[in-house]
Amino acid sequence: MTYLILSIVILLIGTLGIILNRSNLIIMLMCVELVLLASIVLLLFNSQVLHTLLGQIFAIVILTVAAAESAIGLAIMVNYYRLRGTIAVRSLNLLRG
Amino acid sequence: MYLLVILIPLLSAVGSGLGGRYLGRKGAGFLSSVVVLASSFLSLVLCYEILMNGSTVYIELGRWIESDLLITDFGLQFDMVTAVMLIVVTTISGLVHVYSTSYMREDPHLPRFMSYLSLFTFFMLVLVTSNNYAQLFIGWEGVGLCSYLLINFWFTRMQANKAAIKAMLINRVGDIGLMLAIILIWKEFGVLDYCSLFSALTPSSACTWICILLTIGAVGKSAQLGLHTWLPDAMEGPTPVSALIHAATMVTAGVFLIIRSAPLFDYSPTATIIVGLVGSLTAFFAATVGLVQSDIKKVIAYSTCSQLGYMVMACGTYSCIGSLYHLLTHAFFKALLFLGAGSIIHALLDEQDLRRMGGIIRGLPLTYVLMLIGSLSLAGFPYLSGFYSKDLILELTYNNYCLISIYWLASITTFLTAFYSLRLIYLSFVTKPNLTRKSAHHLLEADWNLLGPLLILAIGSILVGYLAQNMVFAPGIRPLPLVPTVVSLAPVIMSVTGILLVFIIRPYLIYNIIRPSLYGFLFYAWEFNQIANYYIGSTVWEFGHIVSYRTIDRGILEILGPSGVAHFMVNKTKELSSLQSGLLFNYALMILVGTAIALKYLIAI
Repeated sequence: MTYLILSIVILLIGTLGIILNRSNLIIMLMCVELVLLASIVLLLFNSQVLHTLLGQIFAIVILTVAAAESAIGLAIMVNYYRLRGTIAVRSLNLLRG
Repeated sequence: MYLLVILIPLLSAVGSGLGGRYLGRKGAGFLSSVVVLASSFLSLVLCYEILMNGSTVYIELGRWIESDLLITDFGLQFDMVTAVMLIVVTTISGLVHVYSTSYMREDPHLPRFMSYLSLFTFFMLVLVTSNNYAQLFIGWEGVGLCSYLLINFWFTRMQANKAAIKAMLINRVGDIGLMLAIILIWKEFGVLDYCSLFSALTPSSACTWICILLTIGAVGKSAQLGLHTWLPDAMEGPTPVSALIHAATMVTAGVFLIIRSAPLFDYSPTATIIVGLVGSLTAFFAATVGLVQSDIKKVIAYSTCSQLGYMVMACGTYSCIGSLYHLLTHAFFKALLFLGAGSIIHALLDEQDLRRMGGIIRGLPLTYVLMLIGSLSLAGFPYLSGFYSKDLILELTYNNYCLISIYWLASITTFLTAFYSLRLIYLSFVTKPNLTRKSAHHLLEADWNLLGPLLILAIGSILVGYLAQNMVFAPGIRPLPLVPTVVSLAPVIMSVTGILLVFIIRPYLIYNIIRPSLYGFLFYAWEFNQIANYYIGSTVWEFGHIVSYRTIDRGILEILGPSGVAHFMVNKTKELSSLQSGLLFNYALMILVGTAIALKYLIAI
């Protein structure tokens, strides 16, 4: 049960970090990592409780995906920084409707 | 032959209208004159059969309207009233056709003019010969249309355009009355043809309303008080038009309507009294206005209005046949007066102002004699045709037991009529010359195409009253009013006094000096135009602009309709599209909130 609460708390921290963060795109990427981490914690906890390996396999897959995602995200960020000279989230609104 | 008398003028209208460019001016004039004169001879033959031999003819042409209970045919009915109207319409029309070939000789559009005149004759014949109200309405609207076309014949003149539109619109007011009357007849009695209607009549309250609406129709067409203002303005048209339409035929259509509906009026004393009052007031009003007019055609136009008032008044005293009789004689002397006025105008190089005439008796002796015959006949001088019919009407109004005021108005009108008709003669022919040098040089009688019709009409206006009295009153007995000798002599005394008074007080100058305000009041026709323009015209105009145009059309309907909806949609979509702010955290928030809401409802279900 504690692990469940832990994972939910991490998830909340991650999402709130995405929503409330106004300054830095790197923090947003880190919060995305936190959300993925929360899911990994939850999957591992479930696989321990239910005595199955499936959760651990998924955890490994998610780790891979998270690594790839952060690599791509950082690449986007570097390119963006080259173009605009800043990576503030609030200055990212050129595509408003 | 019965159909031919109607269709011949149509042939002439189509022939000279569509084939005018091939016939040329002379050809079109010749064709239409000959054809319409043939029609008038045919109508004389018909009169012999109908009036003298007393054979009423009904012709069924075919089914027109057929719904549940209402069956209306195209049909013709030639009875006594129709026969008299046939003489009036075709004779005057034939003579006016001949007259126009000379009067409008210089006009480049003579074929068109002849075509309109013949078309008018055709529609008038449809009006008088129809055997039901629906077909009468075709003719009624047709003569209104032809009146518009003919007043507006010289369409480059602004005044003619305005007068034509005015005539059309004011006639429309009366037409609405007639249309409502027809609808009410259909609702009450379920038939529109005269024979069935008059045999199915029962006294009912609807009769009064039907009669009042018919009276409104007659008021519009016959230029009675209230809707009369178009008649003097219609003098903007060519003079033959004034003679044909605005003196002899079209304006009598309203009187014809009342005469035709006489059985209906018999069931409604209220409407009959209204008719009598309207007629007598019109007669009086128009006679006072005629006293001071300076335009020769307007004097005659107001006298027409006054005489139409007499006819309507006679219908208001339950003596429709007397009214028809006056209609017949009036057509002759009024057409004579108008055509004579046309002869004067023609000789004076289109000068219509009485103040710039005078002394033309030396140049136009024949026209003088003819005009004098017409005027004396109009004034009701003994032994001329006006005397027979007008005297009869006056005595009948004295006999009428309900409203003696009608008699007094009519008697005063007799006096005024005599005064203004002789004033016209005096100012144009007798008094000192006031002409321009140019017109005095050209002062000559016109050719015989122009004078011939005048001669025939003059003979008519001497003899018709005497000749026709036994024909018009043939089916019934000529009404013999029982009146004291003083009353039967009064009209003659009145008219002779009026005639003599013209030569004692020199007209025109005297009132203008003594009573300028009264003179102005009469000159502007009791200010009817001004009152109508100010109180009705401008009020309706303001209502139309402010309320119906600005408030409703461009206001409420516009806001609820196209532009309001468009603005609303554009504003809302702008608000919606501003939700997409371009900021990532807002999108994340929306995803979160959306997921939360979706979860709540999905799990709840």
